[in-house]
Amino acid sequence: MTKRTKIDARGAHCPGPLMELIAGLRLVEKGDEIEILSNDKGSLKDIPIWVQKAGHALGSIEELQEYYSIVVEKVKT
Amino acid sequence: MTKPLSIILCSEEHEKIQMAAMTATIAAVSEREVSVFVSMGAIFSFCIESPNGHRFSGGTFSKLMLEKNAPDALDLLKQGREFGKLSLYVCSMALDITGIDEAALIPNLFDEVIGLTKFLADSEDSQLTVF
Repeated sequence: MTKRTKIDARGAHCPGPLMELIAGLRLVEKGDEIEILSNDKGSLKDIPIWVQKAGHALGSIEELQEYYSIVVEKVKT
Repeated sequence: MTKPLSIILCSEEHEKIQMAAMTATIAAVSEREVSVFVSMGAIFSFCIESPNGHRFSGGTFSKLMLEKNAPDALDLLKQGREFGKLSLYVCSMALDITGIDEAALIPNLFDEVIGLTKFLADSEDSQLTVF
């Protein structure tokens, strides 16, 4: 069963949210998801491009009130 | 395969060290091999106790980064080493000129003390950037 972990990186400046995502992905199993919350506008483009380069999968991107929610599935170990 | 990235970091300005650390770390975690050569005044920021009395010299943007808790440049480099292929080298000439002992540098950050000739030889097929 897919497990989802939420990481609240709101308030962290670039590249903080990305680094928190990378650290988080190391702690979960293949197939699990991380939902990262960020209010850094750069994360909207930075995280998807990193996910693609690193070989993981982008679940969803949501623009909420004053922050973004980005879901990433761990594909590679 | 993406071209490796080589960075020569010689400025003691916080803004340049921060930008070099961000560039090195993001490239390293994005499946790119990165080598950083620390020389000249940049070496002061990599000492356990900075001879200048403060880790970073900088201008308005440096003050803002410190006030707003921007990710620390040295922490970023440590993360780049942990999560990606990032190697850091310290310049033998900078150690000689400053008299700084290798043991006075932040531990577990540098791979080796080398000279510029060796760094450039190893960087022949890399994209080279100087900060």
